[in-house]
Amino acid sequence: MTSANTPRLTMKGIGKSFGGVPVLSNVDFTVAPGEVVALLGSNGAGKSTLMKILTGLYTRDGGTIAIDGREVTFASPAEAVAVGVRLLPQEISIMPDMTVAENIFVGDLPMKRSLGFLTVDDGAMRRRSRELLDQLGFGSIDPDTPMKRLAVAEQRIVEIARALAGQARILIMDEPTAALTEQEAHLIFKIIRRLKEQQVSVVYISHYLSEVFEISDQIVVLRDGKNAGTFATAATRQSEVLSAMLGNTVDDLYAVGGGVAPGADVLGVEKLSIPGKLSEIDFSIRAGEILGIFGLVGSGVEVLGRALYGALGPLKDGNVKLAGKTYRPLSPRAGKLAGIGFVAAERKKEGIIADLTVRENMALTFQERYERGLFVSEAAETANANNWISALGIRTRGPEQKIRTLSGGNQQKVCIARWLVDGVQLLILEEPTRGVDVGARKEIYGKLRELADRGFAVLVLSSDVEEVAGLSDRTLVLDRGRVVGRFARGASPAELMAATSDDPAFSAA
Amino acid sequence: MAAVTTVNSANRRRMTSLLGKPWSGVAVLLVFYIALIIVFSVLSPFFLSVRNMLSIGQNIAFVGLMAAAGTPLIIAGGLDLSVAAIAGLTGVAISILQGAGLDIWVAVALSLVIAAGVGIVNGLFTTRLRLNPLIVTLGMMSIVSGLSLVLTGGLTRPMMFPTFNWVGQGRVGGIPIPLVIMAVTFVALWVVLTRTRFGRFVYASGGNAEAARLIGIPVDRTIIVLYVISALSGAVAGIILCAMLGAAAPTSAGQYLLTVIAAIILGGTSLNGGRGSVWGTLLAILILGTLNNGLTLLNVSSFWQDVTRGVVLMLAVSLDQIRTRALGD
Repeated sequence: MTSANTPRLTMKGIGKSFGGVPVLSNVDFTVAPGEVVALLGSNGAGKSTLMKILTGLYTRDGGTIAIDGREVTFASPAEAVAVGVRLLPQEISIMPDMTVAENIFVGDLPMKRSLGFLTVDDGAMRRRSRELLDQLGFGSIDPDTPMKRLAVAEQRIVEIARALAGQARILIMDEPTAALTEQEAHLIFKIIRRLKEQQVSVVYISHYLSEVFEISDQIVVLRDGKNAGTFATAATRQSEVLSAMLGNTVDDLYAVGGGVAPGADVLGVEKLSIPGKLSEIDFSIRAGEILGIFGLVGSGVEVLGRALYGALGPLKDGNVKLAGKTYRPLSPRAGKLAGIGFVAAERKKEGIIADLTVRENMALTFQERYERGLFVSEAAETANANNWISALGIRTRGPEQKIRTLSGGNQQKVCIARWLVDGVQLLILEEPTRGVDVGARKEIYGKLRELADRGFAVLVLSSDVEEVAGLSDRTLVLDRGRVVGRFARGASPAELMAATSDDPAFSAA
Repeated sequence: MAAVTTVNSANRRRMTSLLGKPWSGVAVLLVFYIALIIVFSVLSPFFLSVRNMLSIGQNIAFVGLMAAAGTPLIIAGGLDLSVAAIAGLTGVAISILQGAGLDIWVAVALSLVIAAGVGIVNGLFTTRLRLNPLIVTLGMMSIVSGLSLVLTGGLTRPMMFPTFNWVGQGRVGGIPIPLVIMAVTFVALWVVLTRTRFGRFVYASGGNAEAARLIGIPVDRTIIVLYVISALSGAVAGIILCAMLGAAAPTSAGQYLLTVIAAIILGGTSLNGGRGSVWGTLLAILILGTLNNGLTLLNVSSFWQDVTRGVVLMLAVSLDQIRTRALGD
């Protein structure tokens, strides 16, 4: 039916807006049968929106999608699965207590009739699982093993087998190697090559450029919801892709330092290690300074901040000094009393108390300071809330508004305001602008700079390379739990990104 | 056709925005309570008398006490199914300790200590071991009510001591003492929940335990204290019941557990934690007590009363769910 020249997937002129804000405009994306196309772009470039449209999670506002030359419109994810579009999400999703075979066929169990009852055909399921795993070159995985006994990489492989059992023709892999070691990542590459032989098309999403260059045939770059370049991998240098991703323009989102000279060391960290997560981290941060720590998912950037605060419990390895005194991270409470404020990445899950008001959310951290005698003084809480609502420009109907009804950016400002009291010297912020719109981002950056100028030491941990490059006075780059680069102010996003890549040819470029 | 739809949707919007108000839950209960009083006053000439009202009060007091203490616990994300069983054990413990030669008030004090111990165990299992409170307190309920039977051989023990029985049967200024104890408990818990640091910690722990921990709030300690308060309320309820009946019956209190939980939920406290108030619980207790009393006056069989209570509970919970959606969750 389909000629050799018909692309497996053609997305043409795709557009999508949320609440009047365009997220994708006129995006084209094509994949040939048996081709691996890498989809790249920094946070917010529109990659995940494009893939959600392809998998039927979102409906497009404009444009066309054709699979093997036939135009399609998906009203639900199930319809996309039915024509062979399969997504492997970044988080491995398996049923740990079921067997490998059950995990592969759970969506479409083979049935048989025995004694007049319809029952699961275990024999067929086992046989077909073995065939599939053999096809992928992993006949060594026993279909009867409970899933939880497998290594993470093997679980990934079973997920891929599950997609194949469902007749996948287009397989979207979102950061498939994020939780894997380098060796394990190569197992995944081996499978991708097998999939190519079977004419399965793969969309490969990854932050790791070296991986992208190893496995892909084509690279499609998105920036700000538009196509920013399509490259044949073999004929392209990494630096070309990076500049397409990041652009050469430095936007004015970031406030420049107020020229206040940094003061004394607030935090000094020596040889901080957490087995399997961080090894021998050294750095210090001074009053009045914004120190940025950049790392991709899995680099340790998501644990370093909370480890220092005490949210990971007592730390054994490493020496930490806070304001000249020895400090051992122990618990959030101890960190707070020592003068550290912490704003967690997952605002909904770990930040706001949704049903409480703005006033209550702000006062909770140091509730004892709002007591008059035995009782909480609402007047004192309200005064505090009003103060920060105006100082941080929090858009709310007033201190009595429930925090869950605020926008992400304004919720984030409340989470920051919680810590702005006497005694707090160090602010640790994880992913400070995740899920925050551009306007509010700019304001938050400005406020963080103001706070630094007022004498706070501000530690920002982020996987958003542009944010770290734009905001920080100094920057550390983490990769696989180690500090792999230290930069002064003015380092470009491309330089920071390059530091995470262990490709020597690229580091030279 | 189109016009009708518009009117309907406008009505619905008005309805939703009314239901979306934070006080609407308590207001709905209040309206329902008043309606109930009017209906029963019309149907029964005995209903609206001071005597009957005080009798309702006397009957709901010990259940109301347990529901009052259970409210902040559920707001904080806990649940105590053992509270009524603790009431039963308390009567038994007092009777046995007194029988062993202790002064009756020393026996009362010791039984409170025992109850507090049970509360601490509930709290430690649910917080430190992160066990589901439903399972922990269900197990504790079974242990405690089993122990009451073991200690008494399943028999009721008489408890006739004028000073002790006064706690259940006496009056202060014409008001039954159990009712006074319940009222004081409600007011005290209201003040604690709305005016103190501890109260804020209760709402924060139930609203988002993870976030609360991350800003250094002692979530576990808060919840353990609430289990102790709940267990103590069970003990006091047991004392009242025992003093009222003039006897310690090992199985006398267990049947009230469902009413306690029903009242808390009917009062608008979210089983998911983070939301609720003691006033809602108080109104719910009044409604359930009035319903019971009114139906009895109308000679409705007590079997039907269980059915009615269930229907009211399910209606109230459905309404609360609609309300929650109107609030935009």
